[in-house]
Amino acid sequence: MNHNNCPPLYWRLFSVWYRHMRVYTKNIFSNGLPPFLEPLLFLAGVGLGLGTYITQSMEGLSYLEFLGTGLLVTAAMFTAAFECSFGTFIRLEFDKVYDGMLASPLTVNNLIVGEIIWAGTKGLFFSFAVLCILAIFGVIHLPYSLLAPLVGFLTGTMFAVISLLITSFVRAINQLNFFFTGFISPMFFFSGVVFPTSNLPHYVQPIVEIVPLTHSVRLVRAVCANHYQMIHLWDLFYIVVFILVVGFFAVRRLRRRMVN
Amino acid sequence: MAEKIIVVKNVSKTFPKVVAVNNLSFEVEAQTCFGCLGPNGAGKSTMMKIIYGKCTRDENPLSQMSIFGYDPKDHELEIKSCSGVVPQDNNLDDELNLIQNLMIYSKFYHIPAKLAKERIAYLLDFLELSEKKNSRITELSGGMKRRLVIARALLNNPRLLILDEPTTGLDPQVRHLIWDKLRLLKKEGTTILLTTHYMEEAFQICDTVMIMHKGQRIIEGPPRDLLAKNIEKYVLELLDADALQDKFNESMQEQVRIDRSQQGTRLFSNNYDYLKTLAGAMESGNYYLRQTNLEDVFLKATGRGLNESQ
Repeated sequence: MNHNNCPPLYWRLFSVWYRHMRVYTKNIFSNGLPPFLEPLLFLAGVGLGLGTYITQSMEGLSYLEFLGTGLLVTAAMFTAAFECSFGTFIRLEFDKVYDGMLASPLTVNNLIVGEIIWAGTKGLFFSFAVLCILAIFGVIHLPYSLLAPLVGFLTGTMFAVISLLITSFVRAINQLNFFFTGFISPMFFFSGVVFPTSNLPHYVQPIVEIVPLTHSVRLVRAVCANHYQMIHLWDLFYIVVFILVVGFFAVRRLRRRMVN
Repeated sequence: MAEKIIVVKNVSKTFPKVVAVNNLSFEVEAQTCFGCLGPNGAGKSTMMKIIYGKCTRDENPLSQMSIFGYDPKDHELEIKSCSGVVPQDNNLDDELNLIQNLMIYSKFYHIPAKLAKERIAYLLDFLELSEKKNSRITELSGGMKRRLVIARALLNNPRLLILDEPTTGLDPQVRHLIWDKLRLLKKEGTTILLTTHYMEEAFQICDTVMIMHKGQRIIEGPPRDLLAKNIEKYVLELLDADALQDKFNESMQEQVRIDRSQQGTRLFSNNYDYLKTLAGAMESGNYYLRQTNLEDVFLKATGRGLNESQ
C-alpha cells in the first residue's frame, strides 16, 4: 500500500457520504417506507377532507396540486433539518462517531461537507418519494416534474447548512426544539406551502422573501409547471448564495468544536 | 541510530481553564513501543490528539513536531494516512455488523473493495473475532468491541499505531491477548504509542515509558531503568503501623524510606533482610512484603492524593 498517498478530495467526500448512506440503508424498511407514507396521508387528508371545502384555486392550481407541489420541498426540508441537527448532535456528542472518523484520513471540512451532501441526497430522495405518490394519483404531470427532486436536493442542502450552523451553538440536545418550533414549523406555514404568501399582510412580505423555504417552493412549482420567469433565477441565486455563505460559517464553527 | 518516527519539542496546549500539555518534549524511535502514563487529566490523551491532528497545539516559535517528517499542523492527512488510531471511546456503528463497520473505514482509507475484504478477513482472524463477523455491535462484549476498534485501526497497515487506553476495563484474558498482538505488530515493524493506567501493561509491552503529571514529563526511560533508578528494590506495606510504633526511630530511618498515607504505611528499602526482620515481629495479616513495581514509581512521581481533575 502506498502510504504517502492520501485519498483524493472527491474520494474523501464520497467516503463520508457512503458512511451515512450505509448506516441509513441498514434499516431500509423503517427508514425508506415513511417518506412514501407521509405524502399519502397528506393527500388523503386533503383530497378526502379539507380539499372539498377549498374550491378557490391558488396561484392557478387546484388545492391538491398547490399543496402537493409544496410537499415536494417540505419533505426535503424536514429530513435534512433533522439529519443535521439531532442526527449531527448525536453523532458529535453521544455516539462520538466523528472522533473515530477524524482519526482516519479525513479533515473536518471533508467530514462536514460530505455530511451536507448526504443531507442533500436525503432531500432528493424524500422529494422523489413525494413525487412518486403525486404522480401515481395524477396530482402532478410528468415528465417536467421529474426534475423536482433536484430542487429537493438544493432544499436539503440549504437546510443542512442552516441546521449545522444552529447545532454548532447547541450545548444540550433539547435546545434544538427551539429550532424546530421557532424556525422550521413557521416556515412550513408561512412560506407559501399551505397558502399563497400574497395573502399575507404587506409588512410581512419582506420576511417571507428572506426565509429560505419560500424560494424552494417557488422554484419547485415553476419546475412542475415548466413555466419559468426571471424571479426564479433570483430564487436559484438566493439558494446557491445561502448554501455557500451559511455553509461557510457552519463549517467554520463546527470545526472549532471538533478540533480544539 | 534508529529512525525517529515521532519528534515532539516544546509542545504546549492551553484550554480556557487548564494547561493540558505544558512544554512537553519526547521522541519515539521506529519499531518501539512508547508508553505514556499519568493520572487522569495529566494530558496524555491531549498529546495523542495533537499528534494526529484532532487537537491543535499552542502557537509557539520554539515548538516543533515531526511525525514521519510531517508537522500535524499542516499535514494531518499524510500523518493519518499512515497511522492507525484507537481512541478512548469505541465509537463503532451499533446498527452495523463487524464487517460493515470495517468496510466503512476501508472506504475512508481508499482501500479497493476486494483488497479490503481480504484485509478485513485477515484482521478479524488476527484479533480472534472471525466467529462474530456477522454479529451486530450491540451483541459484542466490551473486549470484543475493543478488539474490533484495534482491527479498524490496522486496516491501512499503519506504520504508527496510536492507542489511547486500549485495555481499560477489560478482563485479564483479553488484556493479555491484546498485549500479545501488540508485541507481534511491533516485531513486524509497527511503531506503537500508547497511554495506559496499568503499570503492568507498560512494563509488559513498552520499551520506553514516560510518566506525565499536570502536562509535564516527570520521568522517562525503559521500565526496568525507571525501577532501578527511582525506587528502592523492596517495600513492606503495613495496614496497621501502630504495631511497629516503637521501632520508628532514627536507626530505622537510615535503613528505610517511610511513606505514610491514609491507605497505610509503606517502608521502602533495598535491604530485604531488614524489612523481613521488621515483618517478623508482626501478625501475618498485617503486612505485605514485596518487590517494588512501576506503580510505586508512578505514585512516588505523581503523588498519592487526588488532584482536582481526577
